Amino acid sequence: MISLTIDGKTIEVTPGTTILRAAEMAGIHIPTLCDHDELTPYGGCRLCIVEIQGFRIPVTSCTMPVSQGMVVQTNTANLRASREQILSLLFSERNHFCPFCQLTGGDCELQNAALNEGMTHWPMFTSWNTFSVDTSHPFFVLDNNRCILCRRCVRACGELVGNFTLGVAERGIHSMLVADSDQPLGESSCISCGNCVQVCPTGALIDRQSAYRGLEKDLEITPSICIGCSVGCGVKLFTRDNQLVRIEGDWNAPVNCGILCKTGRFKPLEESRDRLTTPMLRLDGELQPTSWDEALWAIVDHLRPLIGRKEDGVAALASTRLPVESLTLFKSLFADRFQSSMVTSVEEGRPTGLLAAMATELRQPFEGRLDSLHTADCVVAIGVNLVEGHEVAGFFVKRAIPRGLKLVVIDPQPNDLDPLAAYTIKAVRGSDVDILLALQAAVVDEDLAKASPPAFDAEKILASLPGKTGLQVRTIREVARLLGTARQPVILFGKGITARSDNETLRMLIKLARLIGALDEDHSGLISVKGEANSLAAAQLGLDQPFQLNGNKAVFVALGDDYPSQRLIERLEKAPFLVVQASYASPLTEIANVVLPVEMWAEQDGHYLNLDGRLQLAHHALRAPSGAWAHRTIFTALADRLSLSISSNWKEELYKRVPSVAINEN
Amino acid sequence: MSKPKISSDWMAGCAGCHMSLLDIDERIVTIAELADIRATPITDLKEPDAGGVDVGILEGGINNTANEEVALRMRSRCKILVALGDCAVFGGVPAMRNFFTLEESLRRAYIETESTDAEGKIPNDPELCRPTKVRGLQEVVPVDVFVPGCPPDADVIFYVLSELTQGRIPELKDNLLHWD
Repeated sequence: MISLTIDGKTIEVTPGTTILRAAEMAGIHIPTLCDHDELTPYGGCRLCIVEIQGFRIPVTSCTMPVSQGMVVQTNTANLRASREQILSLLFSERNHFCPFCQLTGGDCELQNAALNEGMTHWPMFTSWNTFSVDTSHPFFVLDNNRCILCRRCVRACGELVGNFTLGVAERGIHSMLVADSDQPLGESSCISCGNCVQVCPTGALIDRQSAYRGLEKDLEITPSICIGCSVGCGVKLFTRDNQLVRIEGDWNAPVNCGILCKTGRFKPLEESRDRLTTPMLRLDGELQPTSWDEALWAIVDHLRPLIGRKEDGVAALASTRLPVESLTLFKSLFADRFQSSMVTSVEEGRPTGLLAAMATELRQPFEGRLDSLHTADCVVAIGVNLVEGHEVAGFFVKRAIPRGLKLVVIDPQPNDLDPLAAYTIKAVRGSDVDILLALQAAVVDEDLAKASPPAFDAEKILASLPGKTGLQVRTIREVARLLGTARQPVILFGKGITARSDNETLRMLIKLARLIGALDEDHSGLISVKGEANSLAAAQLGLDQPFQLNGNKAVFVALGDDYPSQRLIERLEKAPFLVVQASYASPLTEIANVVLPVEMWAEQDGHYLNLDGRLQLAHHALRAPSGAWAHRTIFTALADRLSLSISSNWKEELYKRVPSVAINEN
Repeated sequence: MSKPKISSDWMAGCAGCHMSLLDIDERIVTIAELADIRATPITDLKEPDAGGVDVGILEGGINNTANEEVALRMRSRCKILVALGDCAVFGGVPAMRNFFTLEESLRRAYIETESTDAEGKIPNDPELCRPTKVRGLQEVVPVDVFVPGCPPDADVIFYVLSELTQGRIPELKDNLLHWD
């Protein structure tokens, strides 16, 4: 530990701590604009200058590490004057005219810094150096006139996301933020994650949806989790008058540590589907508005005779965007009480079915944790495109590449991560098993196996590879050497593996993982990305079989706010009686016999089990419109009218099956 | 001792700061008891006393030669000059114009406006003042007290006036200091 004195207070901190962090720990506030907890110190704004005894001039505390016996002053008259001058320089350099900025009055870190120094004005004349405003992006606006060149956005784009779209062009007073080589943002390599907007201290990057809809003090902030996919990022939902205004990543969330992708940050604000608020009943071939009571009794009359009929009763499907509590009531009603053999999810177990079967076979979880990506030195992505979905997991991979992570992409199709990969393995379709077997053979042949190798003829396998797959043995050997020598290899896989009809590829993957030490006793580097927010919970509840109408006389779809797939709609067209419980109108509600309006994601509370087994609670931030009921209210109302009792013991249900990844309730 | 004289005027602004001044409501009686309110845009006298006033208050930025004249006159006739509101302090909303050239602004205002017919033309009578870049008051004359805000809150204005009329220089901080 290192001992130092800041403003007369003696504290002890670990070596390498910056003066700024040390001061924070001691409860001493040092103003700063470019510093950010999640970003590498940059020392750009100069506002955090401090005086150190023995030093000739003040230094930036964000970049200066502590040393033994250091004596630091943070608030001398000289420093206050310097800070005021630094702020004056910042204000006078560009368009920092507060009255016409959307952040004025509390949300602007630059304005707040000036107010904290007691500045009534800046005493320097303003430079009228102007920049054009970039409004080409669908989700946010870049205004260089408001930029203070703190580079938080540049660092967020590179360090947090690994996208490196933003940079600074020109020099001196002409320095400006640009995307790529000065492309309009909307036509650049930007992936619309918006993390740059979230870190911007001024109004240089503002998002279109929330601009001028209220300052932070005017908005309600609800911490929750994103249910855009199974990663389970922590979010803060900003609302006003029961309207969603903005979504930000929660810096304190364990999964994402603040970052989000466009699916989590911007897409929910683009919702344009028609909201359902009235139950509807098909009468004389037409869907007509009705009361809740009539709609429920119409369902009950239809379903009552189907109780206990396993194969020709009522089939039921639920969205994996529903919380565990709702899924449990759903399962209890249809699988336990109606005893239907066709109770599943709209994902039909494609992302999880094989995993659950494998966990049952192995009698223990075998998948690892997402955070192993933060320390991995080699990642294999197979059967998954981490840009199309689960994008934050993709960010974890992308941002680690500059620190030396080697990426191998195995995908017969073009994959968005191909350009970043050390190796891309593109073979003919359906050769994953051959590739994985050849990799094992090569690992063994190169004498790099970390577990006892399977009994096979490595040379023969490798020799037959080019004929089967069109791949070169040399490439496979190089990849095998990479995997075999990696300190911490991680294999990420997706539906390319789990949605297959057999588990041969998954078995091969597990064998390869064992061989390269990615699946040892206390650590697993095998991670499947699964699908929607509650894919894993649905699997734990056994809602993971392929859907078939069979002889069922009725189908109940608890769709929630999900999008029904075309394939599902086609199969449900043949249903003799179809109930759809949905938040929004869709081609599926159009063919239903009864439509029940239900709350959407931001209106419900409930638990979600993310892809690596983390149990998290989502909170409602909005009130459902009158007329839309909660999922659980509907299931309970139906059960009551049918004189059935349904179980709400969701926690017990989650543990009834061996999970493919250990459930973590913390 | 006679009561201190105060006078105010407005330039390139929206009159909002003077409206906010009126928002001090009945407290204006207190100010009138403390001070002799002379020429203001909302009293009958239109120019500050040639013999001088103690406190001069100016709202608005300076965007033409007429504003310059107002500023110079007030400065020459008052002991303490107050820049009231964001326009007087920084240039404010009118300063948005500075991101364009004067020619562009005039063309937009007098020729290209949607409601202007084909005969629109930029006024150029020598009797008229000439437009300039929009400036804060301090770019033209020395300022003693800056009161930012768009507009400054009535409470802030009352505090400033009561301090000045009692011979003190107001110190704006914490709740009284806003730039919005």
